This record gives sequence, C-alpha cells and structure tokens, in this order.
Amino acid sequence: MFACLFVPDFRVEAFVCLEPELRLQSVAVLEGKPPLSRIIAMNDRARDAALELGMTRMQAQLRAPEAVLRMRSPEQEATAHASLLDCGHAFSPRVEDTALDHIVIDASGLDRLLGDLSQVAQQIAQRGTSLGLQTNVALASNPDAAIYAAHGFPGITVIPTGAETERLGTLPIENLFPPPETLETLYRWGVRTFAQLAALPEVALSQRLGQEGLQLQKLARGTFARTLVPAEAPLTFQESMELEYPIDLLEPLAFVLARLLEHICARLESRSLATNALHLWLQLEDMDRGSSIFERDLQLPVPMLNPKLFLQLLHLDLKSHPPSAPIGKVRLTADAVRPRFAQGGLFLPVAPEAERLELTLARAKGVVSEERVGVAKVLDTHRPDPFRMERFEVTAPTDKAPVAKQSGRVVKRIFRPPVSVVVLVSNGCPVRLQPHRDVLACSGPWHSSGEWWSDQAWQHEEWDVAVREKEEVALYRIYRDMTKGRWFIAASYD
Amino acid sequence: MTYVELHARSAFSFLEGASLPEEMAAACAAIDMPAMALIDCNGVYGAPRFHLAAEKTKIRSHFGADVLCETEFGPVRVPLLVTNQVGYQNLCRLISRMKLRVPRKSEGITTYDELAQFATGLVCLTGEDQGPLAVALANGGFTAAHRTLEQLAFTFGRNNLFVELQRHHRREQEARNQAAVSLARSLGLPLLATNGVRYVQPAARQVLDVFTCLRNHRTLATAGRLLSRNNECCLKSGAEMARLFADLPEAIANTTELSARLEFKLTELGYQFPPYPVPDGDDMNSFLRKRTADGEIARYSQRDAAFRERAHKQIARELALIEKLGLAGYFLIVWDIVRFCRDNGILVQGRGSAANSAVCYSLGITAVDPVGMELLFERFLSEERGEWPDIDLDLPSGEQRERAIQYVYERYGKLGAAMTANVITYRGRSAAREVGKVLGFDAETLNRLSPLVNSWEYKDESDTMERHFNDAGCDTSHPRIRKFLQLCMALQDLPRHLGQHSGGLVVCQGRLDSVVPLEPASMPDRVVVQWDKEDCADMKIVKVDLLGLGMMAVLEDTISVIHDQHRENVDLAQLPADDPSVYAVLQKADTIGMFQIESRAQMSCLPRLRPVRFYDLVVQVAIIRPGPIVGQMVNPFLERRLGREDITYPHPSLEPVLKRTLGVPLFQEQLLRVAMIAANFSGGEAEELRRAMGFKRSEKRMREIEVKLRRGMQENGISPEAQEQIIQSITSFALYGFPESHAASFALLAYASAWLKCHYLGAFTASLLNNQPMGFYHPATIVKDAQRHGLRVRPIDVLRSDWKCTLEPDNGQFALRIGMRYARGMRQEAAEALVAARAMRPFASIDELARRVSELRKTELVTLGEIGALNALGGASVHRRDALWQVERAVHGTGPLLREIPDEHDASPLSRMTAEERLVADFSGTGMTVGPHPMRYHREQMNRMGISPANQLPHLPNGKLVRAAGSVIVRQRPGTAKGFVFLSLEDETGIANAIIHPDLYQKNRVTLVSERFLIVEGVLQNLDNVISVKAHRILPLHITQAETTSHDFH
Repeated sequence: MFACLFVPDFRVEAFVCLEPELRLQSVAVLEGKPPLSRIIAMNDRARDAALELGMTRMQAQLRAPEAVLRMRSPEQEATAHASLLDCGHAFSPRVEDTALDHIVIDASGLDRLLGDLSQVAQQIAQRGTSLGLQTNVALASNPDAAIYAAHGFPGITVIPTGAETERLGTLPIENLFPPPETLETLYRWGVRTFAQLAALPEVALSQRLGQEGLQLQKLARGTFARTLVPAEAPLTFQESMELEYPIDLLEPLAFVLARLLEHICARLESRSLATNALHLWLQLEDMDRGSSIFERDLQLPVPMLNPKLFLQLLHLDLKSHPPSAPIGKVRLTADAVRPRFAQGGLFLPVAPEAERLELTLARAKGVVSEERVGVAKVLDTHRPDPFRMERFEVTAPTDKAPVAKQSGRVVKRIFRPPVSVVVLVSNGCPVRLQPHRDVLACSGPWHSSGEWWSDQAWQHEEWDVAVREKEEVALYRIYRDMTKGRWFIAASYD
Repeated sequence: MTYVELHARSAFSFLEGASLPEEMAAACAAIDMPAMALIDCNGVYGAPRFHLAAEKTKIRSHFGADVLCETEFGPVRVPLLVTNQVGYQNLCRLISRMKLRVPRKSEGITTYDELAQFATGLVCLTGEDQGPLAVALANGGFTAAHRTLEQLAFTFGRNNLFVELQRHHRREQEARNQAAVSLARSLGLPLLATNGVRYVQPAARQVLDVFTCLRNHRTLATAGRLLSRNNECCLKSGAEMARLFADLPEAIANTTELSARLEFKLTELGYQFPPYPVPDGDDMNSFLRKRTADGEIARYSQRDAAFRERAHKQIARELALIEKLGLAGYFLIVWDIVRFCRDNGILVQGRGSAANSAVCYSLGITAVDPVGMELLFERFLSEERGEWPDIDLDLPSGEQRERAIQYVYERYGKLGAAMTANVITYRGRSAAREVGKVLGFDAETLNRLSPLVNSWEYKDESDTMERHFNDAGCDTSHPRIRKFLQLCMALQDLPRHLGQHSGGLVVCQGRLDSVVPLEPASMPDRVVVQWDKEDCADMKIVKVDLLGLGMMAVLEDTISVIHDQHRENVDLAQLPADDPSVYAVLQKADTIGMFQIESRAQMSCLPRLRPVRFYDLVVQVAIIRPGPIVGQMVNPFLERRLGREDITYPHPSLEPVLKRTLGVPLFQEQLLRVAMIAANFSGGEAEELRRAMGFKRSEKRMREIEVKLRRGMQENGISPEAQEQIIQSITSFALYGFPESHAASFALLAYASAWLKCHYLGAFTASLLNNQPMGFYHPATIVKDAQRHGLRVRPIDVLRSDWKCTLEPDNGQFALRIGMRYARGMRQEAAEALVAARAMRPFASIDELARRVSELRKTELVTLGEIGALNALGGASVHRRDALWQVERAVHGTGPLLREIPDEHDASPLSRMTAEERLVADFSGTGMTVGPHPMRYHREQMNRMGISPANQLPHLPNGKLVRAAGSVIVRQRPGTAKGFVFLSLEDETGIANAIIHPDLYQKNRVTLVSERFLIVEGVLQNLDNVISVKAHRILPLHITQAETTSHDFH
C-alpha cells in the first residue's frame, strides 16, 4: 500500500505552519512585482471573505481589509516541504518527493506496526498536524491512486485494493493533470470524470489518443502500477565540529578549519568533484548576549580542490571580517561541482594560475576592502563618472584587442567621492571657490540630467574653472547638483 | 535682436520630434518670433499643418527637410531649406527618388551627386550631431571637415551654405562650434545660429526620450547615451538665443537675413489637375457638355416639359460655372471612373455634396435628382469659394473597389496618381503599450495595464484614467505607475507612423513627385503621398475618394444572389418607389441590417417619425446626429410631425425653404438658403457662413458673419425676435447638420436595403452575413432577426455549405445555409478545397473527408465536428460527439498495426451533447446559433421570475413595473447622452431596450460591462410606440456558458 500526504493551499500553509495563529484568519499569498502583485493562493476563510485569485493587493485590501496578505516565500515553502518529507520519513525510509505540496510513502507493512489501514492513515495525518501542517491523507494500492484520492477527497481516505476505479470515479478529469490538448479533447468528448474516461473502450482510445491516452485511462481507473521513486538524500559536503571550549583566536580556528577542509576535499575527490563555493557557519558564544550565528560565504572563480588554498582564503577573509565573540561550533559546507577541465592554447599568453590569482585578490581585498578590488566597468549613461566595479575574472584573450584611440586631450583626475565645495556665483558664473580660490576663467555651464523616470533622477550644471592656488593655476571641473543645490569639485585637469 | 528659428523638427519627424506643428507655430507666435522653418526628417509630412497654423498665428513659415545622405564617413543628415518654388519641387523630387527606390519602411538614402542634381533653390545648413560637418570632424578631423565644406559650397553655391551653430550646453558641441567657426572664417562662409528645436517645452524632452527608446528598441533603463543629455532642444526666444551667441552676433543676425531669402510659400505648390483626353474636334468643355446632354436625356426625358425645362436650366447654369472655373477635366475624370465601374459591373454611387449637382446626376456620378429634390448647387460648388469640389464615390468594399483604384493607377501612371496618407497617431492603448514597454514593464504587466485606458465615448468626471487604474487594483500613487500615466497622456495624438488612406486618390498633371514627396505604399507598385487627405484638401490638391462601403457590397451581392437563385433581375435604379410594405416595416422600427437606420437611436425615432415616403427617409437618415439633439431640433420636428405643435416659420419668407421640414431647419442646404433669403447672402457667402460655423469655428469670424446676417435681415424687415430665432438655429445647427444631398444619397441606399430585406430576405441576409463585419449588429443577431422574420437558417454542413453563406431550395422557398467562413479558425483555402473535392464526389465518411481534403487541419476538422457540420457524414443517427470521436481517429494517424482494426462499436461510446453543450459549441465555434435562442430553453423559468418576453413589452401599459431579460447585444454610452447607458437585450421573441441612469451604471458597472445575460427591472416607457425599460435594478442572469457577444460602443 501507498500513502499520499497532500497539503491543500500549500503556499498558505507554508506561512500558517510557522504562525499557527493565522489559521483563524483569512490569509492570501501574493506573487509578482509590487505594485502589481496578485493573489496566487488563499485559505478557505479568505475565500469566504470573497477574495479571489488574481486580485491585486489593493483590491484585496478593499474587499477584505482584515485579511492577512503575504508575499510568496520560497524559503518558507522549502521549510514546509522539508517538514512534509520529515513526516514521511518518520514512517518509512521509502518516501517519494513527488511535488512541493505532496509526497508518497511506501506504507507496506505499516499495518502490522500501527494497526489497520485507517489507523495508519490517521497516525500519518496526526504526525502532519504535529508539524503544523493540515493534510489530506489517502491510502491506496498504488502511488497514483493514492495521490488522486489525497487531492480529491478531504481528510482521510482509504481505498481497498480493487475498489480504485469505483472510488476515484467521481473525481473531475482535470485532477489527472493531462496535457492541455488532451484535456481539451476529453472535454469535447464530454468526458468530465475519471469514471467516464475509465469506461471508454481501450483499443478505440489508443487509436485516438495513443499510449498517452491509455496511460491516462489506467490512472483514471486507479490501476496504473509504477515503481515508487524514493527521494535520495541530497549529496551534501558538510562537516561540523562542536568545540569543547570556545576559541577566540584565529590560529586555533585555522587548525580546526584545516581538518574540516581536508575531510571535505577528500570526500569531494573520492567522487571526482570539486567546489566553487564554501560556506562557513560559526556559532559564537558571547558571555553577555548568549549564542549567535556568524556566517561567511567564499565564492571561487573556478572549481577548485585545494584545502591549503581554501584555508588561506578563509583565513584572509576572517582576518578582514573577524567574528565578534568566541566560537563554540564550526560548520563548513562545500557546493559540489564538476572539476574544471581546461587547456590553454599553445600559442596564447599564459594567464595567471587561478588559485594564485584568487589568493592575490583576497590579499588585496584584505588591504583595500572588498568593494575596491575588481575591474571598473564603464556604464552607458550621461551621468558623470559612471562606472561599476565588477569581479575580476580571467577571460580568454580575443584575437583583436581594442586599440585605444590616440587623443591629445588633457587628462582628467576624478575625485571619488566628489569634494564638496562652496562656490560664489556672480551673473550666473562661478567667481570663487571658497576659501580664497578666485576663478580666473571659466567655461560652461554644461547641463546634463537623466534618469527622470526613476527616483534616481539627477541634474547637474557643470563648469570648467581655472583657479589660482597659491602661486599656480589649477584647472577643475566643478558642478552644482541642482536637486540638492550644492557644489562639488568633480575632477582636476592635468 | 530678432532671431528666427531655422532648424525645428516636429513630431512629424516620426519619433524624432515631440511637438505638433500647431504647437510649434503657437509657441513661436507667443514669443514674438516672426518666422520659423520646419525641417522634418526625410519629408515634409508636417508642412501643411505648420503652414495653416502659421497663417493663423501670423508668423511666416519656412520649409525644408533633413535629408539622409551617404558620405565617405557614413550616412549624414543634411538640412535643406527651400527658398523658392523650384527649390521646393527639387526637394520633393529628391525625397521621392530616395524613398521610392527602397522597399516600404526602409529609410532610403541619397548621395552627394543627387544633392547636386537637385540643389537649385535650396539652402544647405551644415547640420547638428549627425550633420555632414560634425560627422566629418569626428571621423576625419579638421582637414576632412574643410573638404566637406568645400564640397557642399561647390554643390549649393557659397551663398547657399551656412555653417550651423547650436548651443545646448554640451562640451563636445561647443568644441565642434569652435572648429566650425574657424572653418567658416577660413572659407568665408556665413554662420547661422539655430537651436535644433525638437520640442516646444523643456518638459517634452521626456517624450522625446521615450520616442528614442521606441526607435532603438530599448527601454529607458538600457538606452544609455542614446537619450538626450539635457532638455535644451526646446524653443528659445530671440533674447535667449542672443545671450547664448553674444560672442557671435552675426550668427543671430544671419537668421533674419536668411529668413528674408526664403520666399517660398506652401500655397505655391505648382499643382495642376490633369486634363482629360478628348476626341479630336472637342475640347474638355464641349465634351463635358455632350456627355451631360446624353445623361440629361436619360435622366429627365420621362419628366414633364416644365420639369425638363427647369432641369435644363439648372444644368446649363452648372455647366457655365464649371467652364468658368475650368473644372470640366475634373468632372470628366470622375465620370470616366464611374463609367469604368459601370462597364465592369461594379456598383458605384457618389455621395456627399456632389449630389447637389444636376451635372453629376446627369453624368451618372450620383443617384439623387437634385432638381426634383430642389437641392442647392452652391453647397457643392461656388465661385466665391475658389476651391476644388469634392466628389466621393462609394464602391463595394473589397475586390471591386480595388479594381477601380487599379484603373486610376493604370490611367495616370505611377507619378501621376497616388494614395493619400493616413497619419497613425498614438491613442489610448497604443500609447499605453509603448510607454509600458519603454518603462520596462514585463509582458504580463503590459497586458494588465494597457486595457485600462478607457475608451467609452462618454466620460464623466469620475471617468479618469487614474480611476480605471485604481479600479483594476493598480496603485496610482506608486511613482512608476504615475510616470506611466503621465507619459501615456503626453503621447496622445502624436504621430506614430504614416499609413495609407483607404480610398483617397490624388491625381496630378505631370509630376506629382514635385508637388509632394511620394513613398512606396504597402501594395506593390503603389505610391502614397506624404500628406493625409485633410492636408491635401487644405493645399487644394484635388482628390477623388473611392470609398469602400460595406452596404454597397451587400447590395451588389444580394442582386447577384437573386439573379442566381430566384432567376430574377433587380435594378437598383428601378426599384418600386414608395413601396408601402417597406414603410410598414420602417414604421415598426424593424430595421436590423438596413443601411443607416438600424441603430438603436434610429430605431427609437422611426416609430415617431413614421416614414411614408422617400423624403421622410431622407429626413430620418439626417435626423439622428449628435447635433440636433444638442440643438433642440429633433423634438420640435417630431412634435410637429405628430401634430402636437403648430408649424410656424421664423419669417414668412422662409416658408418655401423650411416647409418640407415643417419649419424646422434640418439640412445644411436649408441653412444656406435661409441666409440667402433672410439676409441676401449669395450662394458662396452662405457656404462661407456654414464653414465659419463648422468644426474649425473661429469666434471672430462668427461675430463678423453674425453682424452681416443681422444687417441683411434688418434690410429685409425681419423682426428682432425672428432674427434671434434664425441666428440661434443657424449657430446651434451648423456644426452638426447633414447636407440634404448626402442624406438623400444615403437614403437611397437605406431604401434599397430595406426593400431588398422585405422582398428577398434570404438573399439579403446571406449577403449581409457574407460582408461582415459591418453595421451595428453581430451576425448572431442578424440570424436571429431573419429567423423571426420567417427565414429558415441551416447550420454549416460539409456536404452543403460553401465558404460563403448561400441559399438553397426548401419546399418551394429558399433557406439560408451558413457558410464555412463562420466556422472559427477555418481557412478559406481549406474550405474551397473541400468544396472542390465535394463537387467531384460527395464524401461518405469523416475518414474519407480527412483523406481527400488534405488541406484541412486537425483543428478545422475538430471545429467542424463540434459545430455539427460533420453530422451528415455518418448516417442519420450521428451526433456531434460521434463525429468528434471519428475525427480524432481520422486525424490521429493510427499506426499500420491498428489502422485496419475497425471500431469495436459502430457508434461512439460518447454521450450526445446536451442542449447547453450544443449552444456552447455553436457560439464558440461559429459565434452564433441557428437553433433556439439561449433564452428559449429557460422561458418557463423566466415566466416564473416574472420576466416579460421582448415581444410582449409593446402590449403593456406605459409606466408599468416590468422585468426584461436577455443576452446583451448592444451596449452604448453615447457622448451626447450625459452618461446614460443604453442596452439592447435579445431573447427568442425580439429585442428589448433598456435605459440605465448614470448613477445606476456607476453602482453596477462591473455587472453591466462584463455579464453576457442581464435582467433589467424598471418602469416601462411606451411613448409613441417607442418601447424601453427605464432601469431601477440590474441583475446578472446565469443561464448558459455560451459565449454570446455584444457590440459595445465605447
């Protein structure tokens, strides 16, 4: 026998299972970019409050002001799903992770442990309830019959072997989830229920809908036998260590990390895998505030498998981001990926070794801070000084490197961030940069503005000025931020 | 210092300018700029509108174009200004040549050689960012720029080349200016300051940025430096420009100097209408006289001598004026087109004011006798007006009209005839979609937002776009939504691209390409001018409108069906006049499908007007206009007609003019005659009066004319009260009045359609169904109406139906067989292949049908099965589901193993469709049902609910509380009805009308707009046999899932 555990209104239940007080309220889940997010799921109370799928937040608030509206949370759904799996595993090692909102358990032999089939079903349902999930449970002789029964009938359903066709017969044909085209054909034929599909002659049906039609019919009859596909525990490369006493220095931590890394790398190697991301999880023991969690992620540019390098990188990272309290527990997880297979061209210049490059970049980051290391990418906008730092990555050299145009223009040195300055203006032109820097000559104003469609709108009035500084003449680019009404020095000219 | 803007680009540069020419002219006048030059991209699209607006605002208008030209550094935009007529013609020919050698929608490019060829009369500027100077400087430096200027100076002459300077507060532009000034000095070329205007107000930069994104298929977030750097391309005053160019005063001074040199006016196009080729020994006048005389005999010989004399005199008078104005050629050309149509069996009829002309009637151009109807010739043509007459020809829409257009092309050649353009502008939804795209909204959001742009005709104060957004659950306080709304509004009515007008043809003697630039049209070998038909009329270019009229096609088809099936010949010109059976039907407002008199408003007027003769129909056609309701003319007329009000005249002298319309002026001709009689206006002056009062009315002109009217009436001794009454009726009415001649032309078609419907219902209904979409009602309503009138309508059947609806014998009568064109998704070629295969040998089974007609797709077979069109193929007991069962086997492509295995049972295991399922299938598969009306199945339930059938309502007393119900076939919210909504509900017995008060509408908006079936509860109004229910309560009625449709006039 197989048991299906199905959570109706799963997306709502994902919230309700963590906040049981919501069970007594109208709850609706929305999805989409605000302000155009729409309801995608709701509970019965919300339905009673006349909320409808597809309503926007504003419409829902107008229709049912008391309703609780939540944005869809994939994380909470994942947690709820994990609970569902836990519930299954509590009864059998053979649990099929069929969908987000339902699982199938191989219930063979459970009757000998837990009583008759309805008692088995009841206990499974109780287990679900204890995890905060309201479920439909159905037991049948094959996984699919159990799934359809759990979807179609509320509460607990037990279908004795041989009674599947009759018991499932009243269910609507859409519950079979046939492909849209097939569903359309069945509708046209006036086939609305499992029983009607079950009654069609087999040969004639296969002449019209092929094997797919026959399979659907077997499903509708509840006689489709298939092997359960038990969920395999995901392949995780995680090592953790609880320390006997908290450590507050990096050196002893490095010793612990080295052990964990070696272990993980050995496991990865045994499966011919490498990693491109390490996640460090530390439980901090603060005498005053109790325990807290400290996490760091280490992204690698290419898949690697070098525990020494990993240790150095983690060490550098922790040096620049030290934990705030002694460490009581360490957990290290590696994302498993296929190792890098790359061969450089014979006649191409040698690129730096990825591992060493990463180490160098990590050292640089430790010195100048993370956001100042990388490649500056110039942005396509009129906004002055537009660039963004991007992660430095070695790319395969192209045949034609762009040739910079020769230009006789003066060199501009940009102040980042721009320097705030007080400017005296006369007849619309700047005449002095305070303190005491008289403008000898000026050119401008140069007007530029942009991003008027967003809240990032900006408007500048720029001038190029020559000012006397001590005994020399200096050339500056200054601008007035028209939205703030303040002056800045943007750059100096050589 | 005076400054003239000589480089302004309007929204007619299509996505490269953001203000309309009218706005530019008005802004120009507002800042006291004496002149402005409109230089649009690769065309003079906005020139007529700019010219007219400039005349109105009393500024001088100059013209030119930014022409794309290929150079050694790539394409550049060369701004050219027109100095004289030769220059204008050269510019038009240059653009035409460039446009016509590339396919439609490609931009086309010219070369320096061509520029040299057409340089006479043109002044060249060195352009802006994409101009020849800027591009040469950027790519080849100073030397290349020098070379470019030398070349341009050689091409246009040193006096006709100006080095253009613009100052938009941009560094790179100023650097270029420095180079340009130095080059100009070294070459001795004059400098010219311009501001490269692309919009009037700085705020419109946002619209230009949106356009830039649309042009480059980007969003605002990804367009980067394609967008404007700032908003300096607005129109600036002379003082501002002088301040900007304080260091180069000559650049400003040169603008006025150059402006003075630009002498060309758009009134000097050099357009000439082509002469009509006549036989030796004749000139056009004599030839026209002969043709008119021939027609006069045919048209009037049956009439009495006095009438003939009157007609002859009128014709002579018209011919004299035509000769005097040199218009004989025009009449002959139109006559020639009409003759071609007649010779080729194409139904044709002139409409509009041409029906005032006895010459047109004699030549067969129009079908209304203006002498018999005492129509006013001056409405059509007058000496004072000095403009070309306007003759519109109605032709059957579709292929026949196409043949007539082809004939004109063949006759006048590619450069002698062209279609007028149709400027497509941004309207509600299109603006919303484009703005949404540019703001980066995803497809789903776009689909959600764009339908919210409301387009009901009537808009009350609460009917704002903001309100619709709120209703749909969009938060209008959100910045992105607000920006979206704001941009949608800003884009409204701006030109989007140039389309082709459906029927306007321009003909010209010699080269039309030197009058207005030509472009390729979407059809091969066709060209279209850059101006729309209003612009052509404003520029006094003669056009002939060959308009497609669905009803003409219906009439033509009906006559052909009558000939084929009834073996009778019907000649529309010989229909029995004033047939009482026709008028009996009209008086009952039983007019569904009839031309011009089928609308809800017409139907509510017919029982009160009770037409008994043709002239009543002319009045009927004219009376339902938005204006007379506003002008309080309909009610007095109907009251007098019903004998409830005395017939009086503002002055006894006006009795002859107003007698026919019971003292109430209803037609434009009457208005003209009133002015002529009461105030001694000449015919031409009266027509001027009508125009002054028309749509483009000007307060000043109206006041001038009113003074003149009063003076004339004073001279004729008309009392001040009567004067007031006359002026009141003229001013309130002139805006909306119909020309009597036009009404008469349409009334002829209305009568013909009514006569054919009364006498040949089957043929008429078949033709009406074959020419959909047209008219006021959906095919489902037309079919139900025909059935109620006794026509048997049979469903689509693959053994009998053609592509079109046909008639088939039925017990000595004819039944209508619905054609396969009504099977949703059916393609004409598949249907025709089926008919051809059937003609060889009928099909014995669905299998055979699928095998023999390989053109049929599975979806088509399935639809045919669903709507019962295959039932006849399987024997007597086959039902739709049996057919669908067989279709699935026939199309599934069973493998060889199973192919030979017969079905286990002869019949399918599927159950028969219920009546409801059949209804749903009928409506989803054909949009109609030939079986009982959905309401018929629920009549008992309706009776229990106290719902009266539509045909019972006329028998109930006025004021009784009633309930009516049915499928909503029409929803209307006319602009003139102050927010009232009119519903038409159809049941199996007929149509019930309901009136919804604005308050009730607001309360039940969703129900009223979205429900297919409604119950309306309210007070029955039965006034003069016009029946309607004044609703108190609206309820949805859920009786079927069938997707019935309504015609909503939003």
